Amino acid sequence: MSTAPKTVQSKETSSLSEKGLKAGSVGLIGAVVIGVSCIAPAYTLTAALGPTVSEVGVHLPAIFLVGFIPMLLVALGYRELNNAMPDAGTSFTWATRAFGPWIGWMGGWGLIAATIIVLSNLAAVAVDFFYLMLAQIFSNPELGELSKILPLNIATTLVFIALACWISYRGMETTKGVQYVLVAFQLLVLGWFAVSAFVHVSNGTAFDATAISPDWFNPFAVDSFSSFAAGVSLSIFIYWGWDVTLTMNEETKNPEKTPGRAATITVLVIVIIYMTVALATLSFAGVGETGLGAGNPENQSSIFAVLAGPVMGPFAILMSLAILSSSAASLQSTFVSPARTMLAMGHYRAISPKFGKISPTYKSPSFATIAAAIAAAGFYVITRTVSENALWDTITALGMMICFYYGITALACVWFFRASAFSSARAFFFKFLAPLLGGVILLVMFVKTAMDSMDPEYGSGSSVGGVGLVFVLGMGVILLGVVVMLVMYRLRPEFFKGKVL
Amino acid sequence: MRYVVGYTANARGHDAVHLAVAMARNHDVSLDLVLVIPEDSPFNAVYPPETGYNDILNEQAQRWLDEGLALVPADITARAHIRRGDSEAQTLIDVAVEMDAAALVIGATNGGLFKRFTIGSVASSLLHSSPVPVALAPHGYQRTEPITRLSCGFGTRPGADELLDVAVESARDRGLPLRLVSLLALDGGNSPGLADAAWVHAADRLAAVGGSAAETPEPEIVVAQGRTIEEAVDRLDWEDGEILLIGSSRLAQHRATFLGSTANRILRALPVPMIVVPRDYTRQSS
Repeated sequence: MSTAPKTVQSKETSSLSEKGLKAGSVGLIGAVVIGVSCIAPAYTLTAALGPTVSEVGVHLPAIFLVGFIPMLLVALGYRELNNAMPDAGTSFTWATRAFGPWIGWMGGWGLIAATIIVLSNLAAVAVDFFYLMLAQIFSNPELGELSKILPLNIATTLVFIALACWISYRGMETTKGVQYVLVAFQLLVLGWFAVSAFVHVSNGTAFDATAISPDWFNPFAVDSFSSFAAGVSLSIFIYWGWDVTLTMNEETKNPEKTPGRAATITVLVIVIIYMTVALATLSFAGVGETGLGAGNPENQSSIFAVLAGPVMGPFAILMSLAILSSSAASLQSTFVSPARTMLAMGHYRAISPKFGKISPTYKSPSFATIAAAIAAAGFYVITRTVSENALWDTITALGMMICFYYGITALACVWFFRASAFSSARAFFFKFLAPLLGGVILLVMFVKTAMDSMDPEYGSGSSVGGVGLVFVLGMGVILLGVVVMLVMYRLRPEFFKGKVL
Repeated sequence: MRYVVGYTANARGHDAVHLAVAMARNHDVSLDLVLVIPEDSPFNAVYPPETGYNDILNEQAQRWLDEGLALVPADITARAHIRRGDSEAQTLIDVAVEMDAAALVIGATNGGLFKRFTIGSVASSLLHSSPVPVALAPHGYQRTEPITRLSCGFGTRPGADELLDVAVESARDRGLPLRLVSLLALDGGNSPGLADAAWVHAADRLAAVGGSAAETPEPEIVVAQGRTIEEAVDRLDWEDGEILLIGSSRLAQHRATFLGSTANRILRALPVPMIVVPRDYTRQSS
């Protein structure tokens, strides 16, 4: 007896959300933990605080607050698109549907580039704090200096990237328990740092005790629009990850209320911790350009590496541990994103279908994960070799890249929903006004930062052929995207003729 | 009766399907090919968020399962299922229990370089916790003709009698010749006296298992001998269509498998498939 073979979708699938996550498994606190872990505040602060101070000085708190606005506006549009067209390609698919294959392709490229850049930066920060922690464990400062030896630094970073790639390829994931511990530990250590800094200020033992002034919160007091634009594109980066809570759905216990509440609580937690740490850092160290000053270019690539010791004393090792653990966890989870976007692009034949391969053993994107690792490693090696201060320059370039693809995504939302935007007040605000404002702000920031960064003195002051390195990195990556796109057009025209999406 | 086949779209999965087909041919058995897709932890949030990856993955899984079903000849009924779960081994066990499967069939490994069996992590977890018998296909198992002989390895440990019961009944139901392989001599070296004792022990046990064996040809009894387990396994002759039944270690929980160290070493040297029977297992009657 034989029956026709058929595949049966098992009934278990119905208890899963569209994302393949178990439905109803995340409560409010869980969602906030996920939001905070995506932002990884210990990592973003150490990476972005210094470069932002170099742009806007004491107006750091103001810029950190203002930076949230475009993020919020774009995230609202992102949520609308995600609900209307859930797709693994996200920005790539949406921009393709709204503006056609060419802009869509570049949107996907911007998203992949941003995640590749953040991967290389995460790995580099993890390596710095890895050596710093070794130095603290063995009370031997020479070990911390090891990360400044170029070949050793590059080798260690490549090892970190390879490890994270392997873990991601094997489909291993951070579990609930680990994530709770990592997030609680980060917040605790950042709070500890802030309290210790204020204690030093009140005891008169601070490096450059600076009195907090209301002017620090005034974004209009920033001396130039250039500084303002640069500061905002940097502070986009520190909120990047927040909107993950908004896109949660069936996996939450209460899909009606949890995502919105979680997003609100997450941003409150984050803003409080950013404000506290920013104020503590400025009060303790000032913005002077010597010694421990937050304005000292020497300190700006990784502010906590310099300040944790003087502020927290022997407990500085906790800061190293918090940053190392959070950046290592982010490194692993961030790998998933470019890999899946490339997989989707491969799947839709916008790039070689090899990128669409899924490992039969681990059921994860195989080719795309390895490609992401190679790209991140390559990006780091190039930046590190040509830049005096690779971390700083990559963060600035990253801010630009986020503005680029988020701007495109936001405008894609406006254009895609143009027919229904005026049907109700809600639709007008969420599908038109918010994404339009957010998208325009981000693209203005992008263009302004790009133009300013041509100056060889921009950012850390590294330059290639008389042009600022940040410009070369940012524009180089985008131009490379254009070149690859044209090659792909020759090789697989069907996508570009709009036959696939 | 149903067998659950732990399918993956690689050599390991193909080995498993071949073995399941071979086993099903002696019997009125249908196959359920199960492909396990990992369930994402929401706490490993993907950023920037995406939702459609799951569809691409499901589509791929369907294609893989179609390939798997194509390996099953037309005379055997087979269905395919996609399941999601954190752990592949646990998901397979759940499916097997839910479907009341008589056995779980899996491939041992992707590619053992030196050994015939290198146990993959999924196989290893199954062998240490499955409540249903686990059939392991050796690397590169191509055969889909019916099984030709059943061997049963046993020692003196508690549980040996239950295992013999299972072996005698299976052989009878399938009309297969049964061979009992005494592992008794393995513990004590190579003395001829010990081999005789092992033979007598085996015959005793067989008699104790009882009259049910009467209708079938007298089982052959052999004593595995060698300085090491690997050597003993190599010295036995194995038919191409043979399959070895082996019991769980004393460490096994009630009604679960646990691959003991002896069984593990046998497995590594064995050229034919092997079925690990849970402790205190009672066979489904067909």
